[in-house]
Amino acid sequence: MRIVKTALLAMALAIVPATAALAQTAEGEVIVVHGVPDLAVDIYVNGDLTFENSEFGDVFGPLSLPEGSYDIEIYATGADPSSEDPALSGSADLPAGAVATIAAYLQEGGTPTLGVFVENNSSTGAGDARITARHLADFGAVDVLANDAAVWEGVTNGAGADTDVPADTYNIKITAAGDPATVAYDQDLALAEGTNTIAYAIGSVSGGSFQVVAAALSGLATAPEGVPTGDAGLIQQNGLMVPAAIAVLAIVALGGSLFLTREQR
Amino acid sequence: MPQLTPQNDGSRRRAARVLGVLAALLLIVAGAMALGKRDTVGDTDRFGTPSSTLPSSATTSTGGTALTEDLPDDEPGGIPANEHSLLAEVARTGGPQPVHLRIDSLGISAPIVPTGVDQATGLMEVPANVDEVAWYRYGPEPGQAGSSVLAAHVDLAGEGPGVFFELREIKPGDRIVVEFDDGTEQRFTVEARTTYLKDELPVEAVFRRQGMPVLTLITCGGAFDDSARRYDSNVVVYAVPSEPTTR
Repeated sequence: MRIVKTALLAMALAIVPATAALAQTAEGEVIVVHGVPDLAVDIYVNGDLTFENSEFGDVFGPLSLPEGSYDIEIYATGADPSSEDPALSGSADLPAGAVATIAAYLQEGGTPTLGVFVENNSSTGAGDARITARHLADFGAVDVLANDAAVWEGVTNGAGADTDVPADTYNIKITAAGDPATVAYDQDLALAEGTNTIAYAIGSVSGGSFQVVAAALSGLATAPEGVPTGDAGLIQQNGLMVPAAIAVLAIVALGGSLFLTREQR
Repeated sequence: MPQLTPQNDGSRRRAARVLGVLAALLLIVAGAMALGKRDTVGDTDRFGTPSSTLPSSATTSTGGTALTEDLPDDEPGGIPANEHSLLAEVARTGGPQPVHLRIDSLGISAPIVPTGVDQATGLMEVPANVDEVAWYRYGPEPGQAGSSVLAAHVDLAGEGPGVFFELREIKPGDRIVVEFDDGTEQRFTVEARTTYLKDELPVEAVFRRQGMPVLTLITCGGAFDDSARRYDSNVVVYAVPSEPTTR
């Protein structure tokens, strides 16, 4: 039976120090991606029906789950697990604090498979965003360009990479490796500060089902290091304080002068 | 009116004249010192002061909402597929944006501009325009959960005193009003004013994104290092919403 669905378990863990409570419960996070075209599936996690009738392109999560090992089984929608075999199956270890993507996707050539990928959930620098690209499509090597500058070159099926950039909106293009004229994807993407935007290229280019779906790990932000709000020293001791003190003295002297002048009339 | 016993008129006249001249001289000196300070032209970006205006592209384009925000934490049982169009999501989807700040007790009324991080320094971006207040747009809007940060210059070389020059004079109980771009406003009441050495500014708390809503106003203060052209401290004011948020 060739049923394939994509399940991506990405676990992004506690993002910020503020989520210490989450860490204490020893949880990780999982993202599930369904990247196999033309296949509706039920996704079972540790034997429990967790995602029902998922369609190609679905992305679930990030979901917080206790740390541990998870068995993933993917059946055609409506199949009876007690009497049928899963279309795809696999397992994933979820350490506390980690983020994992579990994806059902097409290898180059079109064979469905199940893959587990660990996502980068470390803190992003102040004002930065992170983008992760995963090539999970039936297609050859690709180049990824941001604002027409190559970010990654020669990314092959099953591979991925991440990088941090200042938060902003970027034009993202995916082209055949070394062939900028063959554009598989061209879209403006808002990369949010403190967030790892994970883009999954799925489907089949030749089959016309190629698309890019995404998940986001938020809460990775780092605070600015400080607040620069003055450099003129107008309230320093030698700034305005001294002139102000002198001015006060002047007023006192002037007052004395006027007083004496008037008193003598 | 009390009458003083007349004394030597001649000495009084001389004294009055001397005091009058002294007063004039003192005023001239004081004025010259003050103006001299203000006219000191330092390099304004040596300490992280933005050397140019904020890029216009940085205002509204980057606040994309996390795709997964609405997903329940309890997983099983048919979580709806996440139909993010995150990829197409460009415009910020947050609430009303703060546009104006009023602190009547200090005579402050100034526009608010959204800012982010100066990538060169890692510091919060504060506009070189001393008449504007910077809102850290990656944090919450004023009145929302977490600490909403509004920062402005106490002064700026070549520009003179900034909009927060008097901030160190604010008192608990003072009223602060933030106006939003949808015409609404939120009032805050000052709870505390404190001064931190810059190295000790609790940035994780000041820029926190969760918890009780607090409006945090920041400027510079403390001792000024003339050679470094730098204040050694930040003046930080904490205010809380005065009434239930109506937005």
